[in-house]
Amino acid sequence: MNWLRTVRAELRKLTSTRMPLAFLTVLFAIGAATAAAVVFGTDMDGSKAFLSTAADQQSLMAFAGNALLIAGLFGAIAVAREYGHGTVVLTFLATPRRPHAVLAQLSASFIAGGVLGFVGAAVSAGSVASGLTATDYTFMVSAPDLLQVLAASTLAGGAGAVLGAGIGALVRNTGGAVTGTILVLLILPPLAVQFAGGAAGWVPNTLADVVSGVDGAVGVGAAVAAIAAWAIVPAAIGLVAVTRRDVV
Amino acid sequence: MRHNSSQNPTGPTSRSYPLSIDHVTKNYDGRAAVDDLSFVVEPGRVTGFLGPNGAGKSTTMKVLLGLASATSGHATIGGLTYSELPDPTRTVGASVEADAFHPGRSGRNHLRILADATDIPLQRVDDVLEIVELSEAADRRAGAYSLGMKQRLGLAAALLCDPPVLVLDEPGNGLDPQGIRTLRNLLRSRAAAGDTVLVSSHLLGEVEQLADDVVVVNRGRLVTQGSLADLRQSASLVRSASPGTLQAALEREGGIVETGQPGTLVVRGLSLDEIGEQAFRSNVALYELSRHTDSLEDRFFAWTEDTADGGPGSNTEEEL
Repeated sequence: MNWLRTVRAELRKLTSTRMPLAFLTVLFAIGAATAAAVVFGTDMDGSKAFLSTAADQQSLMAFAGNALLIAGLFGAIAVAREYGHGTVVLTFLATPRRPHAVLAQLSASFIAGGVLGFVGAAVSAGSVASGLTATDYTFMVSAPDLLQVLAASTLAGGAGAVLGAGIGALVRNTGGAVTGTILVLLILPPLAVQFAGGAAGWVPNTLADVVSGVDGAVGVGAAVAAIAAWAIVPAAIGLVAVTRRDVV
Repeated sequence: MRHNSSQNPTGPTSRSYPLSIDHVTKNYDGRAAVDDLSFVVEPGRVTGFLGPNGAGKSTTMKVLLGLASATSGHATIGGLTYSELPDPTRTVGASVEADAFHPGRSGRNHLRILADATDIPLQRVDDVLEIVELSEAADRRAGAYSLGMKQRLGLAAALLCDPPVLVLDEPGNGLDPQGIRTLRNLLRSRAAAGDTVLVSSHLLGEVEQLADDVVVVNRGRLVTQGSLADLRQSASLVRSASPGTLQAALEREGGIVETGQPGTLVVRGLSLDEIGEQAFRSNVALYELSRHTDSLEDRFFAWTEDTADGGPGSNTEEEL
C-alpha cells in the first residue's frame, strides 16, 4: 500500500505541471503533420500508392518508434527536473527506502509514457483515417491490426519513459538526460549496426516496428522482451546510482 | 502565519523523540564537512543549530534525515535512523531546501503530492496552508513565490503530518518580522507540547529569542552546546585595581580570562566564589564581581573565532 501511495504521488507530480500538456501538443502536431502527409503527400510518380494497401496504412500510423523517443524524453526531463529543482528531497523523505521510491518513480513514468504512447498512436490513426477521406482510398486497417498499433505504441511509450527516467535518475541534469536519451535511442543504435550488422533487428526503432506489426525482423515476443530490456537496463543503472549516492 | 495546535491526523503517538548525533563524520572529496560531531537534541526544547556558512549544519541535518550517508557515526531519531522509522513523515517534519519546489507547480499541488505519499487527507493541505497564511497564493505557481512565501510553503510541508519532530534549515530566511514572530510562537508552542525542534539559523537575534538550547558548530566540529541561558551567563565580570596580577592568578587556577574595558576582566571556567578567593589570596582589591551576560552574537563570534584560529584540531568544547 505504501508503494501504491508513492506511485500515486509520483503520478500527481507528473500531471501537476504543464509538461504533459506540452508533450500532448507535440503529439497533436505530429498528428496534424501525418494528416497533411496523407492529404497532400505523393509517391515519386505523383500517385498515392503509399496509401493503397492496409499494410501501407498500418505502417503510416505505426507510432511506437516515435512513442519510444517522445516518452523517453518525457521520462528523462520529468525525473532529471526532480533532481534539478530539489523536489526529489520530498520523495526520499516520504519514502526513505530509495529502491521503493525509484521503483514508484519508474512505475509512474511507465504509466505516463504508456498514456502518451497510446494517445500518440490514437491521434496518428485518427489523422490517417481523417486524411484518407480527402483521397480516393478508404481506411483498410483491420481492427486487430489497429489494436496492435495502439498496444505497441502504448508499450513503447511506457518503455521509453522508463528508459528516460532511468537516464534522468543517473544523470540528474535535464540537458544531460535529454542528450543521454537521444544518444541511447537515436545515435548509438545505428553505430552499433555499423559494427555488427546482426544487431539491426534489435535496435529500438526496428523493435518498435516489429511490435507494431509492420516489420518482421524478429518475433513479436522477442521484440517485446528486447524493448523491455532497452528500458530496464538504464533504469536499473539509475536505481543503483540513486541507492548508492547522497540525495543532496 | 497563524499558530494552530491542530489535531494530529495520524492519531495519538508517543511524541518523545530525542535526536542523537553520535560521532558523525561526513567527508566530501576527502574533506570533512562534518568531523566527529556529537550532540543530543532533547524533546520539549527548541534547539538552535548555529554556525557560520559551511560549518556543517545542513550536512548534519541531511545525514539525520537519511538524505546523505555518514562516512562514520550515526544519527538517530528516537533511537532509530530516519529510514528505520516506521512512519518517517509522521514522525519528522523537515524543511532542508528553501527552494525545493518545481517552479511550474502550485503550492497546493506541492503539498498534495506529499499528502498522497503519506496518505494524509487532502483537507489537511488546506489546514496547513491556512496555518502558514498561504491560502490565497496556494494555486499560484511556486516559481512566482517570494523567498518568504517559499519558506512558508516549506514549513507547511513540514507541518503537514503534524509530526512530533521538526527539523528546519534556516526557516526564518526571507520572512517578514510578522512571519518571524509567528514562526517563533509556533515552534515554541510545539516544544511546549513536548515536541523536538531543531532549527538551524545564522540569524542570531532570531535564535536568541527562539531557542532554549543551542548547538554551535564550526568547520564541522562541535564548538559548544547547552542551554542558551547557561551559555550566555557562563562568564564573570571582574573589575579590580590590579587586573594583571589577578589575571595571572586566575589563569593559574585554570580560568580563561579575557581583558575587557580598562581594569576589567571577563573570566570563564571559575565560579564567583573561586574568583573572590583568588583575589583575596593575591591581595587584589575588587571593585566589581558579577555574572556577565553576553549577547548571543558576542558569544557566537567568540566561539567561532576561537576555532577558526586553530582549525578543527584546536576545537575547545566549552564547559558549561
